[in-house]
Amino acid sequence: MKLGLKLALAALVVGLLATVPWWGSPVMVQFGINALILATLAQSWNIIGGYTGYPSFGNSVFYGLGGYGVAIAMVQFHLPFAVGLLLGVFLAVLFAFLLGLPVLRLRGHYFAIATLGLAEVMTAIVSNLEIAGRNVGLILPLLKGDTVFFELSLALLAVTTITVAWISRSRFGFGLIAIRENEEAAAVMAVNTTLYKILAFALCSAFAAIAGGIHAYWITYLDPSSAFDITLNVKMIIMAVFGGAGTIFGPVLGAFALSAISEILASKVTSLASIFFGLVIVAAVVFMPRGFADLVRRFRQQRWRYFQENIKAHRV
Amino acid sequence: MQLLWQILVNGVLLGGLYALMALGLVLVWGVLNIVNLAHGALIMLGAYACYYLFTGFGLDPFAALPVAMVLLFCLGYLIQRHVLNLVIRAPMFNTLLITFGLEVVITFLAQITFSADFRTVNPSYAGANFVLLGATVPLVRLLAFGVALGLTFALWLFLDHTGIGRAIRATAQNLTAARLYGVNPRRLYALTFGIGAALAGAAGALYGVVSQINPYIGSSLTGKSFAIAIIGGLEKSIYVLVGGLFLGIVEALTALYIGPTYTDVVSFGILVLVLIVRPTGLLGRTA
Repeated sequence: MKLGLKLALAALVVGLLATVPWWGSPVMVQFGINALILATLAQSWNIIGGYTGYPSFGNSVFYGLGGYGVAIAMVQFHLPFAVGLLLGVFLAVLFAFLLGLPVLRLRGHYFAIATLGLAEVMTAIVSNLEIAGRNVGLILPLLKGDTVFFELSLALLAVTTITVAWISRSRFGFGLIAIRENEEAAAVMAVNTTLYKILAFALCSAFAAIAGGIHAYWITYLDPSSAFDITLNVKMIIMAVFGGAGTIFGPVLGAFALSAISEILASKVTSLASIFFGLVIVAAVVFMPRGFADLVRRFRQQRWRYFQENIKAHRV
Repeated sequence: MQLLWQILVNGVLLGGLYALMALGLVLVWGVLNIVNLAHGALIMLGAYACYYLFTGFGLDPFAALPVAMVLLFCLGYLIQRHVLNLVIRAPMFNTLLITFGLEVVITFLAQITFSADFRTVNPSYAGANFVLLGATVPLVRLLAFGVALGLTFALWLFLDHTGIGRAIRATAQNLTAARLYGVNPRRLYALTFGIGAALAGAAGALYGVVSQINPYIGSSLTGKSFAIAIIGGLEKSIYVLVGGLFLGIVEALTALYIGPTYTDVVSFGILVLVLIVRPTGLLGRTA
């Protein structure tokens, strides 16, 4: 498919989705908000994890900072929601710049675990801050009606996806992909690797922060353990990987598919839904490590051999 | 001064246990090049094994420890043989992700089977303590420290002085060469992961005696183990001991001078700091 056609199709889907609050049931709209926010998180992770090849396990920090930006601005200073969002984005981008500089020098296991450590540190720090309500958390003013939140989340996902689409065909994006494939070679080709990595980190932090802000205002409650939840990080990573990390629509489709399956499971067997993401991770890494996009591409030729080939390639 | 001495004693006793926690993680990382994010979950399982052997069969927790180790060894062997061996040559991110998935699965299965309530293993001598040069030393903590030290030493003996131990170290250095000498990597990997899990089980059994347990303790224990591995480096089990003692003392000092709620900030702060300054570990060689 040509990109123009793809974009037209995407615009049509977005337009159709925008009408959901007018005909869908409240449960459906609420499920939609959650799925859209998760898709935004998966898509923003895609920038640093998928395109740049730096698998961050600390993106929930940005999400949490966004939530706290909104909560602190609205509860402690009685400022409007939009100002809170700006504060959240500011905090997250500042964090990405300050910590990106040292942390993005690390590679492989070390980068992954350092970011995981950051998430733990932030939980502990925020639980000690008076302005953030310590470990009790903050209660935000109530805004009735899910429609606003649905449209906001949808718009955010659209903007994030457009940004990723732009990245994938821009000079900046080629630089990121070069870093993923071979960082030394990229540096030799005059890619300013440090700057590119930090910009990618900051960009994904901004989107994750807005998602966190919207979610916090919608839920009207925020505490450290839910704001910096590590399982949220697991979810965004597996959604991106399941759909296809480093592709434009993969993370969004992955997020929608996994959210839907998990929702259906939750309505049938609650306990099964909880381990669902764990099982999907294990199965996806073993059978389709390059994601759904790759499966669709190769399944036509290889049929069921596709799964065998994947195992054969990586087993000892 | 008296207080500082007490804090140091507490820190050292805690540090010995921390070292044992990290030992299995370091072994698996060094030999299989897998950073096992489910390590903390295995520690948690060890703690529950000890708890149920104690409450169900009246077994003394220190007698339950070997049983917990055997159980965890079997589980670890099966996980490596049937799951992790399938992805071991995949990129590092994939192996990291799959152990993350295992952590989620183990934690939720534990929550369903054991419930989310806090549990403690309270043998009759749980409150016993004695005074050493003015510092109070709880008996169970000293015992746990002794067992942790003993197991660290035993692992060192095993790796250096047995055939299997040499095969494990050879595989860590050069898989191809080890294969030429008749090492079966599938079995050896499973064995190594099993030993790592058994050490986690032992650490868990001791953790249950000195602290409260619930199904969610895993992820923070993985983080602590990783911090110790980073501080000590991956080269020698004795360095892990130093890393564990260091973290134990620093946490005890933090709890006293800054506040008990900040211990995690400090230990993870150190982790990130060491990673940035010396990624090969404070004691390890420079890359």
